[in-house]
Amino acid sequence: MYKIRSRFTKKGDLIFISHLDLVRVFERAMRRANIPISYSQGFNPHPIMAFATALGVGVTSEAEYIDIQLDEKIELNDFIDRINAVMPDGLKIIKSKYIESTEDSLMAILKRSIYLVKVNLISELKEEFIIEQLSKFIDNEEIIEIKEKKKKNKDRYKRERNKVQETNIRPLINELMLFSVQGKELILKMNLVTGSVGNLKPETVMRKLEELTEIPMLLDSVRINRLELLKEQKGQFVELMEE
Amino acid sequence: MSKLEIHDILYKVEKPARYLGNELNSVHKQIDEKTVRFAFCFPDIYEIGMSHLGMQILYHLLNSQENVFCERVFSPAVDMEEEMRKNNIPLFGLESREAIKNFDFVGFTLQYELSYTNILNMLDLGEIPLFSKDRGENDPFVVVGGPCAYNPEPIADFCDIVLLGEGEELLVEIMEVYKQFKNTDYKRVEFLEKIASIQGVYIPAFYDVRYNEEGIIEAITPNNPNAPQKLTKRIIQNLDEVFYPEEILVPYINIVHDRVMLEVFRGCSRGCRFCQAGMIYRPVREKGFDRLKYLTEKLLSNTGYEEISLSSLSTSDYSNLDKLVRHLIDDYEKDKVGVSLPSLRLDNFTFELIQEIQKVRKTGLTFAPEAGSQRLRDVINKGVTEEDLTNAVEKAFDLGWSSVKLYFMIGLPTETLDDLDGIKELAFDVVGIYYQTDKEKRGKGLNVTVSASTFVPKPFTPFQWEPQDGLEEIYSKQRHLVEKLKRKNITFNYHDAKTSLLEGVFARGDRRLSKVLAEALKAGCKFDGWNEHFNFSRWMEVFQTCDVDPVFYANRRREYDEILPWEHIDVGVTKQFLIRENEKAKAGELTQDCRTDCSGCGVNHGFIGGIC
Ligand code: SF4
Repeated sequence: MYKIRSRFTKKGDLIFISHLDLVRVFERAMRRANIPISYSQGFNPHPIMAFATALGVGVTSEAEYIDIQLDEKIELNDFIDRINAVMPDGLKIIKSKYIESTEDSLMAILKRSIYLVKVNLISELKEEFIIEQLSKFIDNEEIIEIKEKKKKNKDRYKRERNKVQETNIRPLINELMLFSVQGKELILKMNLVTGSVGNLKPETVMRKLEELTEIPMLLDSVRINRLELLKEQKGQFVELMEE
Repeated sequence: MSKLEIHDILYKVEKPARYLGNELNSVHKQIDEKTVRFAFCFPDIYEIGMSHLGMQILYHLLNSQENVFCERVFSPAVDMEEEMRKNNIPLFGLESREAIKNFDFVGFTLQYELSYTNILNMLDLGEIPLFSKDRGENDPFVVVGGPCAYNPEPIADFCDIVLLGEGEELLVEIMEVYKQFKNTDYKRVEFLEKIASIQGVYIPAFYDVRYNEEGIIEAITPNNPNAPQKLTKRIIQNLDEVFYPEEILVPYINIVHDRVMLEVFRGCSRGCRFCQAGMIYRPVREKGFDRLKYLTEKLLSNTGYEEISLSSLSTSDYSNLDKLVRHLIDDYEKDKVGVSLPSLRLDNFTFELIQEIQKVRKTGLTFAPEAGSQRLRDVINKGVTEEDLTNAVEKAFDLGWSSVKLYFMIGLPTETLDDLDGIKELAFDVVGIYYQTDKEKRGKGLNVTVSASTFVPKPFTPFQWEPQDGLEEIYSKQRHLVEKLKRKNITFNYHDAKTSLLEGVFARGDRRLSKVLAEALKAGCKFDGWNEHFNFSRWMEVFQTCDVDPVFYANRRREYDEILPWEHIDVGVTKQFLIRENEKAKAGELTQDCRTDCSGCGVNHGFIGGIC
């Protein structure tokens, strides 16, 4: 049994496919590429693979990760070439390496994500003003996100009141900074907690920014690009495949 | 033509992957002035349309032709339609993102009557004039085909061209003629006149329909010298030689039938009297084992699919089924490719085969006795006995199954409450058999699902003259069954009788229904096959506004000598045969499977000769 860890990108029109769709694209690509993938046991055998985290529909990513288990060892370059040859435009494996089967899963090691978030402003703003607003925002000890928890009720005609859950998202924001502003186009860079310890989406941060700061923006125009996924290694946060 | 900008609205809609158009094995061609543009429209959402084998075949067939570029179009979901209308984006071909109003052909496949309003809505969204008579020289030709096209009369006024029968050869012939017209200074009618004489082509505008005072058809007459008196459908002689795609579109999102669909044969020899497909697709024509083996290899390696389904009207009738299934298991088990066999009959239910398949992937277990009593099963010529069912179920429970689905129809001709009680008895028998099965062997958690759909008489079946049960009758039958089937372990499902009524109206409707459809579009009717969208009272208002009585179409008995709206169309089975079958139904007489004994349906005369 062999395990390959790979980093891939998701871009272009392919950002509109969901995580479940992505799983299927990988499964079928693996078959078409004749990769000797391992299958799970049982009535509905599935290729054994695991992703670091799900990416939201509509989000571009430079840094997605997947572990794939194989029955036979194959050349890494061959693996990359064969998969990329059958992948749709927009999905591309960038690098791969063999890992020990005892190695922690991607999901377990993932701690943070870095995003670039683009949004259109309603009016042009000075850089200093944006920076000042961002630091005010970040200075809040608490930023409360209210989430309605939908009750999964089989009988959809019975309307039960949804539960409301309050979370303080401030501890999940590691960094929030101005990346660029040109005319009405504002780009922010953020480093957010991701993974088993907590999960903050950039959309949520944007919603809160719109609500709590004086930066007037069109939330409809938010476009997100995931730049990195990070793990913790000797006190440093580094890219997931870093040795 | 310019590419429409849809990127921004994709962020706003549910399942944007429906609208990308770049799925695996989609075709993208260079477009020049010679390119014939064809929009293949499926009047339902992506997940349904993409599951349709006919679309996969014709899409790849058309694209295999030089200078023909066929693209897909599905009904945009309600949220997408809203965004498109808000942003002035007309309906477009998925592959090129160009407006279909500028295409040469806009084709619709007619799979079920309840999609008719979606067709009109798509024309509207496509900015194409609804009525054929209002289309100008620069508008596309609207062409329809598929099972409902055998009685296309309710939508005839919206169609320029109707294709009757199997399309593989016919479409190519029409494309060839059109290539000679394209880029010349021709008139629409000239092209239509040119193709009107091709077998299988029906130009509705070339025929006049006259009605008498009671609203019954008096005559259907051609009004153009190029239009034949009698229209005959097309049929493919040799299924091994006919085009079949070696790659099919693989969607990103989960669709209804998300697997390789391998057509093993066309037609059905069983002769069930309620079944339109069994009549209009005659005779049985099989694909040979070698051809299927070849296609399987290609299709699996070109798609990466993990499942293959053998498709036909009655898959257990395929003469090489055993050999084929064993081949699939032997050659593809290592790749974990599952095999699914839909539409297995319980009388020749091959458990050994099913068990083989279970080694790879577990499949559900369904039986379709269709009627509850032997008497009524004889009426509809469903040659299945209670013993067949109980034997099969006994075996199934013995092998560890614990959930069984039973399909029935209610509202069949001559049906009484006794027949309905037969449904109850069958279901209870199944429960009884379960508890008699060895506890060690049977699966846990018995679940018997009884589904009852409402019978809708269809054109070109022996029941085409029969009245459909009225709403009240169906309601009371449904209530009766709800009462009778109250029991632990039994789930009873039934269809909404109102949608069946609407289906019945359009199935046997005539041209006067086109104004009803146009009015329904105005009233906002669409997705009528979807419970959450179907609005019965709105439909009833539309009928009233148009002064059309649904009862006339759905619930009226026709005489054998009445001129039916599809009288000018010949699908092969003769009227005499259908009358004979209707009489035999009344007498409860069976007709044999026509593979063993030809029942003289007539399709062997002039259509295909030699095979039957
Ligand atoms: S001609 Fe005879 S054998 Fe052929 S389809 Fe008709 S009934 Fe069946």
